[in-house]
Amino acid sequence: AVPGPLRGALRGPPAALRRGLAKPAGPQSIRQLREADEAAPIFQYAGKAAKRKDRVFVWGFSYSGALGLPSPVRPDVGWKKPRRIQPTPFRLETQEKISSAACGYGFTLLSSRTTDITKVWGMGLNKDSQLGFQRSRRDRTKGYEYVLEPSPIPLPLEKPQQTRVLQVSCGRAHSLILTDSEGVFTMGNNSYGQCGRKVVEDETYSESYLIHQLKEFDSRVVQVVCGQDHSLFRTKKGEVYACGWGADGQTGLGHYNITSVPTKLRGDIDGVNIIQVSSYGDCCLAVSDEGDIFGWGNSEYLQLASVTETTQVNVPRHLPFRIGKIKEAACGGTGNVALTEEGNVFVWGYGILGKGPNLIETAVPEMIPPSLFGLSDFNPDIRVAHVRCGLSHFAALTNRGELFVWGKNLRGCLGTGRMEDQYFPWRV
Amino acid sequence: LNAAPGRAPRQHVRFLPAPAGADGKETGLVATTVPVLADHPLVRGPRFRRLKIGAGHRLDVKASGVFVLGIGHGNKLLTDLYNCHLTKVYTVGGLFGKATDDFSDTGKLVEKTTFDHITREKLERILAVIQGTNHKALLMHSNIDMKTQEAYELAVKGLIRPMGKSPPIITAIRCLQFTLPQFQLEIHCLHETQQYLRKIVHEIGLELKSSAVCTQVRRIRDGVFTLDDALLRTQWDLQSIRNAIWNCQLKVKTELEKTLG
Repeated sequence: AVPGPLRGALRGPPAALRRGLAKPAGPQSIRQLREADEAAPIFQYAGKAAKRKDRVFVWGFSYSGALGLPSPVRPDVGWKKPRRIQPTPFRLETQEKISSAACGYGFTLLSSRTTDITKVWGMGLNKDSQLGFQRSRRDRTKGYEYVLEPSPIPLPLEKPQQTRVLQVSCGRAHSLILTDSEGVFTMGNNSYGQCGRKVVEDETYSESYLIHQLKEFDSRVVQVVCGQDHSLFRTKKGEVYACGWGADGQTGLGHYNITSVPTKLRGDIDGVNIIQVSSYGDCCLAVSDEGDIFGWGNSEYLQLASVTETTQVNVPRHLPFRIGKIKEAACGGTGNVALTEEGNVFVWGYGILGKGPNLIETAVPEMIPPSLFGLSDFNPDIRVAHVRCGLSHFAALTNRGELFVWGKNLRGCLGTGRMEDQYFPWRV
Repeated sequence: LNAAPGRAPRQHVRFLPAPAGADGKETGLVATTVPVLADHPLVRGPRFRRLKIGAGHRLDVKASGVFVLGIGHGNKLLTDLYNCHLTKVYTVGGLFGKATDDFSDTGKLVEKTTFDHITREKLERILAVIQGTNHKALLMHSNIDMKTQEAYELAVKGLIRPMGKSPPIITAIRCLQFTLPQFQLEIHCLHETQQYLRKIVHEIGLELKSSAVCTQVRRIRDGVFTLDDALLRTQWDLQSIRNAIWNCQLKVKTELEKTLG
């Protein structure tokens, strides 16, 4: 052991005075290169179980907590300013693999198909208990009004370790959770019966423990959809049930009153096997297995103007579009989009529809040229696989896994990184 | 070139005394066209003493392929072609498993890695990501206002591209061959250098949790000039060059008119 003060002295004279031989810097011969090549160690960076983990990305308005990121709202460091908008996709850390997600008005629900006790997480606005009762840590009798991080939502399941949550859906102030064996759970605002239970006068919805369970349907429910203040249920047999606010006819039951019990829809979809239902604002669309499309509800923005001049349609009507067999349809606040079997995207309605600034409204579906989604001589087999709508923006997912968005860019909802509206599909 | 028959000598009108008449009395002036003495080859000397040759887009020493040169008046056409900002197409060959300091296989070895986990599907996924980000850069640098109808129409036709200075942008990339450890890509790009393409190969290797070096860069198209128009080393003689220039003239003219109006 060398004593401390002497240790440095044993290093020898400083480098400037040393007369060691430097290695030659000229080009080495091929043999030396090959020897160095073979002698080099091989590194392995890819692990054995290198499977891609499914990820959740969030973007948009952050102050309501709907993104699940507390740091833009309340920065953990004092000098950081709160960020109102998250303009580009940001990865959200989740404990489980998320299979279904839904965005409501200021709140979000995430669910996973796990058999663990916690299957659904919620974040965002909770003023109407749309995320259930979130017990406040400071005062155990009160609940949180804003939830900033994904928090588990306790569900009154009979068999919590066997039932799986298949899908979640969010409306303006209510949410629906679909399970595989225990029916549909609804929570949140019920002032129009959208939760499927009787309307109670002067009920306070905030900090409420009430989660209603709906089991009385003819066959198993396979899809739940929330409109702004109404709910739609699609069963395995192809029938559609509705409840909630009906002043625009969005319940499709033939009247303009509210319904507090899920009731079957008739009209043009009576007897038709419906494979997909969609709604967002006050208009609803349903797609049958033969590729026909039916609509009802609000038509103030020419969504249903191809069949009727009235602005409210309270019975499902067949929309005679000659655009081919329709695979999927989505409703937005003012515009609708349909996807055909060939992978073409058709838009109609009002707003920024995606065909440049000149197309503001149309009653007849117009096709968006597939070259905007990346189709070219170079990549001839790009097709759009899914379409979705927001209030005034649209999103399309191609079979190569690319996401295209267009529409009005309210508070960064498009996720493009710019604050301007997007008049044609833009890759995110 | 100098031996070829040149332009016919210019003619001009001189007033010369008329040839003497029968009795030598007429001395009027007659207008005749005579060749200008200054155009006589013995006075003028060889027609071409120097040739102005300019080069198009750069091609560095380790790369190969189409290299465009302009002669004389062609230099002005070269500037116009540069302002058209047309894409170039390269075939880039790569090798997985090695990383070197200058991204090519002749450089100093930095690291060796495994590559058995790489599949064609993973490579295509990375290429799709590269194409997506570069497509966004293409739209951003083109300086067109996205909110106009003409921007929409250009986007539908796929004609949006930057018409000024911009960083290197890849407009299209796809995998031609994939046999581990080698692979070959076809890259369409703008404003790039060959070293940038080698760096892209290196970054693809890093993204796939391995490493890659570039073995070959070959330009197969430069704007309107393709491999078929290019002259081989054995064809560098006057006749072939003249034929090549003659064949390309129409193509270049139409392209310039289409882009620059």
